[in-house]
Amino acid sequence: MDMAADVLSRNNVRVTGRGTQPMLFAHGFGCDQNMWRFVAPAFEDDYRVVLFDYVGSGKSGLDAYDPERYATLDGYARDLLEVVHALDLRDVILVAHSVSSMIGVLAANQEPDRFERLVLIGPSPRYVNDPPYVGGFERADIEGLLEMMDRNYIGWAQFLAPAIIKNGDRPELGEELTASFCSTDPVVARAFAQATFLSDNRDDVARVAVPSLILQCSDDMVAPLEVGEYLHAHLPGSTLRVMEATGHCPHMSHPEETIGLMRAYLHPAVAA
Amino acid sequence: MSELAAPPGRTLDPLLDHAPCGYLSFADDGTITAANATLAAMLGHAPGTLDGQRIDAVLTVGARLFYQTHFFPLVRMHGHAEEVFLVLRAAEGGTVPVLANARRVERDGGWANDCVFMRVTERAKFEEELLNARREADRAREVVEEHARELRMANELLEQQAVELELQQQQLQEQAVELETQSEYLQAVNDQLVAHGDELERQRAAADEANRAKSSFLAVMSHELRTPLNAIAGYVQLLEMGIHGPVTGAQREALDRIARSQNHLLRLINDVLNLARIESGRVEFLLEAVELSALMREVTPMVEPQMDAKRLTFAVRVPPGTTVRADREKLQQILINLLGNALKFTPAGGTVWVECAPGTGHPPTVLLRVCDSGIGIPPEKLPAVFEPFVQVDMSRTGRSEGSGLGLAISRDLARGMSGDLDVESEVGKGSVFTLHLPASQGEPA
Repeated sequence: MDMAADVLSRNNVRVTGRGTQPMLFAHGFGCDQNMWRFVAPAFEDDYRVVLFDYVGSGKSGLDAYDPERYATLDGYARDLLEVVHALDLRDVILVAHSVSSMIGVLAANQEPDRFERLVLIGPSPRYVNDPPYVGGFERADIEGLLEMMDRNYIGWAQFLAPAIIKNGDRPELGEELTASFCSTDPVVARAFAQATFLSDNRDDVARVAVPSLILQCSDDMVAPLEVGEYLHAHLPGSTLRVMEATGHCPHMSHPEETIGLMRAYLHPAVAA
Repeated sequence: MSELAAPPGRTLDPLLDHAPCGYLSFADDGTITAANATLAAMLGHAPGTLDGQRIDAVLTVGARLFYQTHFFPLVRMHGHAEEVFLVLRAAEGGTVPVLANARRVERDGGWANDCVFMRVTERAKFEEELLNARREADRAREVVEEHARELRMANELLEQQAVELELQQQQLQEQAVELETQSEYLQAVNDQLVAHGDELERQRAAADEANRAKSSFLAVMSHELRTPLNAIAGYVQLLEMGIHGPVTGAQREALDRIARSQNHLLRLINDVLNLARIESGRVEFLLEAVELSALMREVTPMVEPQMDAKRLTFAVRVPPGTTVRADREKLQQILINLLGNALKFTPAGGTVWVECAPGTGHPPTVLLRVCDSGIGIPPEKLPAVFEPFVQVDMSRTGRSEGSGLGLAISRDLARGMSGDLDVESEVGKGSVFTLHLPASQGEPA
């Protein structure tokens, strides 16, 4: 029980909703459970809605961060499964954004019996091109992202915030600075970015036994259409829906469409 | 109002269009709804041409990823963003680093994300420097940490070695203690041996003393015994002479037996006395050059009658000119003794002879052999023949007339003259007694 309580606190788990079947929302890289603010409430009537932050993101317990464990997506998959066990969730509908899609794939492969459906928003099994496979990026592009992160996280927040905090005259400023980017620790963010964008989960995808919905945005530079089509072809039991939404975050930019497609997939009869 | 007003259809406020910073407004789906002329110029585009394009058009690939994972979620969730560093993409392919401030506002019945971009080319250089310095510092720290790790490992290794050395030292100390213990033990053993040696020395001295006492006792006793024996002999003679009255035939025979027994007893006592004298070192040897053929000429008459009587062939094969250094009288005594033995143990018809040969030792010696074709001595009995009071085979010789001291006396005498006496024998074939004597360098006597 203590272990479960530790996990709930460590991963800042929030449970809402009036239903019984759990709908577990897993945020993507760069943000935290807040990103589900426009989508999750729509399912509170019918589901037990579970939100959480990965260790190192949002309001998770940063002291639980272990560079070795979180060097690959397996560590994040353990976070997800530990949340599932802490609440003893069964028949889970996992709603995963971006990198969480592959984290969900890893978790579902480890314990397929726990999951009923996977809803994967903007998933990609591999971001870097590996001809003939098209991921959409070259390694140098990923370096560009890391550079941008360094400049924003480390360049200012990290460089100056600790100094301000140390001076002690305006500690709230330091907190504000470091908390401003959807609350992700800069060192964790960098490692998470590398684990995310340099991963290759194509083999894992082929072994998935849980039925899934792929929500593919039109014109998503992070997960291009080719990636969605590749996934649909290689992910057993998958349904592909190409959204009208553009960009990489339809749950934030186009929550209505996202909710509608999820409902249609989960309750085809009702939606029809 | 300026003549550089927005092209037809543009709704952008001219004041905003020429503000000294880039301005851009985008919808949640990433479509640019407005961009001012300053931004267009900054990126090398004609004014108004960015409107309707996707925001990706003005971002580098890295910036697009950052926009999707950070910038948009931030503006969308927080409603605003401040001082976000972005790298914009210019029309010609160059890059323009900017700091972006953004605010999300409701306008015309929808949501707009308004951004201003401030060029930070110079600042970016300094930031770059700072960042590089930080990376350098991180790398340096890693190197230092690596070194520290290596040092720790080396230190651990050294400590381990120190422990091992200490262990070895302990072992050595233990061995030293062990050696010391052994040394003490050996010292104790040595002390015991020395004590033993002293004890043996004392015992030997005591034994010597006891032996001397024995010899002295024997000498005294023999002397004391001879006096009554001489008295017996004297009175036997007086009786035989008839001084005390006529003697009958039977009495004469009895007297004769008494005389023989007295004589035997006297000889026995003389032998004992001789041996005792020799062993107690009280015999003096008069050493001189003795020519052996001459000596044999003196000895032969003493034994020849008995040889003849027993029908033994007696021969002396000693050529003239061989001289030894010896006590003439003692040498004679030895020869008579040895010839007496040969006579005794050689059956009638046998042969007894004396021969001589040069010895092999140095200083030069002479070997004088007394040989017989007698009954011989069994090998197991040979070592004992020189022991006092030993006769090898009583049964063969009948009751011995001798004391059993003859050979012991002979060997002692030979040794007293720096010579020796030994024997070779074969049962049924005979015996050879070899007398070793130092050869004399001087002239024959």
